[in-house]
Amino acid sequence: MTSAVASEHGHPTAAWPPDAQYGNATPGKIGMWIFLLSDAFSFGALLIAEGILYAGHRPWRQPGEPELGILFTAALTFILVCTSLTNVLGWAAAADGRRRQAAILLGLTAFGGALFLVGQFQEWFGIWAPGLVHEGLVFGQSPRASTFFVITGYHGLHVLVGVAYIFAILAGYLRGRVTERQIELLGLYWCFVDFVWVFVFSFVYLLPSLSGA
Amino acid sequence: MSEKEVLQPAASSVTHVPAARERAPYLTAFAVLIALTLVEIGVVRSGGIPHRAAVVALIAIAIAKAALIALFYMHLRYETRILKLTVLGPLVAPAVYGLLLMLDAAARHMR
Repeated sequence: MTSAVASEHGHPTAAWPPDAQYGNATPGKIGMWIFLLSDAFSFGALLIAEGILYAGHRPWRQPGEPELGILFTAALTFILVCTSLTNVLGWAAAADGRRRQAAILLGLTAFGGALFLVGQFQEWFGIWAPGLVHEGLVFGQSPRASTFFVITGYHGLHVLVGVAYIFAILAGYLRGRVTERQIELLGLYWCFVDFVWVFVFSFVYLLPSLSGA
Repeated sequence: MSEKEVLQPAASSVTHVPAARERAPYLTAFAVLIALTLVEIGVVRSGGIPHRAAVVALIAIAIAKAALIALFYMHLRYETRILKLTVLGPLVAPAVYGLLLMLDAAARHMR
């Protein structure tokens, strides 16, 4: 197509792929990566703030505060890793034209995300067992409590947005309005949620527990 | 090239890479991620590992897990070198900043 034809239709011309540096990466993908990078800085700032508070407060765990459930959170980690797998397999199925399989895998990803949120609700407030709030971990009462709720809450918000994003993409895919490109962008966001959780799990749950804090 | 092809690229930047659509690397990455998580639990629960070694091990494992997710599940390994640098380069600064703060905290505890 020439620019003259494009101009007749009132559309801007755009050669594709645009340049040698970014290969076939679409502007949408580059934009999503830049968004995720900025989001990573937000999480980085929160984790660094936690580290600074941790270094200045001994004992980190105040009397009467409960321990964090490492095994329960490891189970949540397992769920998130599973959803990263189902998500990327869903993208691969969509790229291969296996639409039904792609839809099922995306549905499983959303289900896993919802399961993670239920688990986090249980951890905070309790559903089938007492939650941390009832056991004495109260926001604002200690740096440990505040950083815990802020960081895990911020991550949980990302999971919630991710589940809504999956449902939106899935609905569009079932109607034929969404291609594997949009599913890949969704996958970038969703796997970023897993990427960040790796550090949240380590810096909020595992590392402080080493000193019995 | 048709108008549609020009304005709406037909495929993502990794679809044209056959390896990106194979399941085996994703399943392998999944198995390694689960194994590393189990190692993390083992490090925390064993109690026999010196504190400093356990801290280093947990941070190293976290970085390894994050790298697996970024490279495989986020397809970074199939992207161009410039895109990899665009994403990973800026992450080095806060990582170094965090590391310096941890070293500072450790040094103050040793006094």
